[in-house]
Amino acid sequence: MFSQEKFGIREAISLITIVIITKIYFTSPALLIKFTGTAAWYVTLISALTAIVGFTFVYLLLRRYPGKNLIEIFEVVWGRSLGSIFSGLLSLWFIAESCIFLREFTEVLRVYELPLSPTSFIILIFVVGIGVLIFLGLEAIVRFSKLAFPIFILGFIVVLVLSSLNFNIHHLYPVFGYGITKSIFHGLIRSSVYGEVIILAVFYHSLQGVKYIGKSCYSAIVLSGILNSVSILAYLMTFPYFTAPRIISLMYEMTKLIDYGRFFQRLDPIFFFIWNVGSFITVATLFYTGISIYCMIFRIQNIKPILVPSLIILYSGAMLPQDATVIITGYVQASREYSWIVYYFLPLITLIVSKFKGNKGEYSKK
Amino acid sequence: MNKWLILTAIILVIVFSVTACYDSREIEELAYVLAIGIDEGVNDRVRLTIQFPTLKTGPAAGGNGENGDNSVGGEQDGYTTITFDAPSIAAGIDIANTFLPRSLNFMHTKYVVISEKLAKKGITELLMSLVRYREIRKTAHVVIVKGSAEDFLKENKPTIGTTLSKTMELLMEGTYNTGYFPNTTLHDFHNSVHSTYEQAIAIKGAVNDFKNIKENGDTDYKGYIKTGGEYTAGEIPRKGGSKVDLFGTAVFKWGKMVGELNGDETRILLIVRNEFNRGIFTIEDPKSHNSAISLNVQQVKPPETTIRFEEGRPIIKLNIMLEGELLAVESMINYNTYQLKPLIERAFEKYVREETYKLFEKCKDLNADVFQFGTVAAKHFMTIQEWEQFKWLDRFQDSEINVNVEFYIRRTGNII
Repeated sequence: MFSQEKFGIREAISLITIVIITKIYFTSPALLIKFTGTAAWYVTLISALTAIVGFTFVYLLLRRYPGKNLIEIFEVVWGRSLGSIFSGLLSLWFIAESCIFLREFTEVLRVYELPLSPTSFIILIFVVGIGVLIFLGLEAIVRFSKLAFPIFILGFIVVLVLSSLNFNIHHLYPVFGYGITKSIFHGLIRSSVYGEVIILAVFYHSLQGVKYIGKSCYSAIVLSGILNSVSILAYLMTFPYFTAPRIISLMYEMTKLIDYGRFFQRLDPIFFFIWNVGSFITVATLFYTGISIYCMIFRIQNIKPILVPSLIILYSGAMLPQDATVIITGYVQASREYSWIVYYFLPLITLIVSKFKGNKGEYSKK
Repeated sequence: MNKWLILTAIILVIVFSVTACYDSREIEELAYVLAIGIDEGVNDRVRLTIQFPTLKTGPAAGGNGENGDNSVGGEQDGYTTITFDAPSIAAGIDIANTFLPRSLNFMHTKYVVISEKLAKKGITELLMSLVRYREIRKTAHVVIVKGSAEDFLKENKPTIGTTLSKTMELLMEGTYNTGYFPNTTLHDFHNSVHSTYEQAIAIKGAVNDFKNIKENGDTDYKGYIKTGGEYTAGEIPRKGGSKVDLFGTAVFKWGKMVGELNGDETRILLIVRNEFNRGIFTIEDPKSHNSAISLNVQQVKPPETTIRFEEGRPIIKLNIMLEGELLAVESMINYNTYQLKPLIERAFEKYVREETYKLFEKCKDLNADVFQFGTVAAKHFMTIQEWEQFKWLDRFQDSEINVNVEFYIRRTGNII
């Protein structure tokens, strides 16, 4: 069995929350505001609710097969070959997500801070860092998340509180944005934003049981839903619906606007710290999950032998997109809108099939 | 052994990566632009004027361009202005980098100064290029100047101390201490120029040539009480000090300047927008004509604005709440009594009410909702489509306003 280190609920919540909410530092909120206007702040709550429903399928599946992770369940329900295809899809998706995220981070970094550094250089440095973290293992990633989480949240809150100077609550009207139908539609399909909770189902053996996974995942979705909603609310109150969609990183621009007189301004470093730490954890987690699933499919006991080739894939994958526009309006958008198929739909049909087949985990049989 | 090799490799990677070799720029390699001026170009599309510190004092200061005070040496040295024509702002930066030994950096730019002539033709595209440029912070102030931006920046120099950046920052404090000009930043301007709720405003600036101050009786002043704010930038009767005036407001409609407000009108505008902090108002003594009463007025509560629609016509109800302190009573009448104090309060309420009506009519004539009433009107619409179909900014001229002012004198200065 692929070796999986142990961690607790707090670590799990920290990890998943960071992975989910790091997206708000990039282009996703601007795109959401573009489609839903002033309603964006509660559309993300609709997404969170949808994600809770979506994850419930995964949770029911895990409860049906106690002691087995999602990859093992795929194999039990679908058989080795078909199960591997399902798991392979999940693995590919996580690797693709990490490549997209890494490239998005690089592009935004180049826009705002490192315009002269070549894309390949930034990606390479990041990949090396991720390589070190992955080499140290899942436990290192999770412990690092737990360590970074309070600073991450504190930095996030500080930026929001200090930005309140520029808030105008009237910018939240008309209250229904581009219409209820559009809001619900985008709320449903963008539930993919919270889809990374499935990571804990992959690392089932690291937690102490299905109840702990449920508790961690539901808590992470609720927490990140609130944080996402609050941050989009802040963005909308600072940048009205007609200017927000034009801005690459709303959080960064909001931080740049903090100005409390001559001695208290230019707080971008706070932003950069939490931004970089969050991105680092997110890409490392997504990529680690992707290659872990690969290891589980092919019964590879240790991730280390395939680490270097995998990192080359991450580097190459991140280098593939031609430009920032392709990344922002193409890949990122597609990832936010279609990930639910992989994250929730695959477990759902697996659950349905397992009900029809009537097979259950060993523990349940007893 | 392996562990040591890995550790060494990691340390080497970290050490080399943190040098930021591609983007590292030492402070002495950069020229920090404090203000950027934009005029209509003669040889090319735009004429750019940039003002930056030369980081040196003494006779050699002034560099390749003109010295700040048009002289060599002196205590106002340490900064310079350079003017050149360019096809665009971005291209202009590159052009300037060819004849300047240091790279221009706009991270500390405090003013974006645009000539009135250019502003009247429309500055939306120009503004977008500024917003898109990553170095320019959106906290930079937008100033529209009478005459040329070039002349304005040549006169932009420290009068107290030697630091121009500090002078520019402290000059902007005037908006909080007087309310005679708005605190418009690039962020505000960018938001409002694309807004469906409001039209944009900017700070009005000008070079005061000191010719408005008359030494003899050849003026239109006939002894009546003046408010002190009936001027716009460049018109204040004064001499001495900096020639730079920031006074009044430039009013925009869809990115084109369509009018201007004087200091008094600007104060009323800021009160309605809830952006007024404090300022000293002078009104006529209600019991003694031709005597002035000075009040230090503060806005402690935001105005209450409600809007209803009668057959599609917006009816605005505005309730302004102010409080103040009695600063001076020329007539020596003792207003510190329950009977007389309300007389000043009612007189000031009347003044603010009438000025608000006048300003409202003026803005209706310009068809520019600079009051941000649209932000309140938007609450009546469920969706953005409905709101945008209503076209608030075009319908503003059909609106009607009812103003109520509440003013209380909380303190009466040192005298009971």
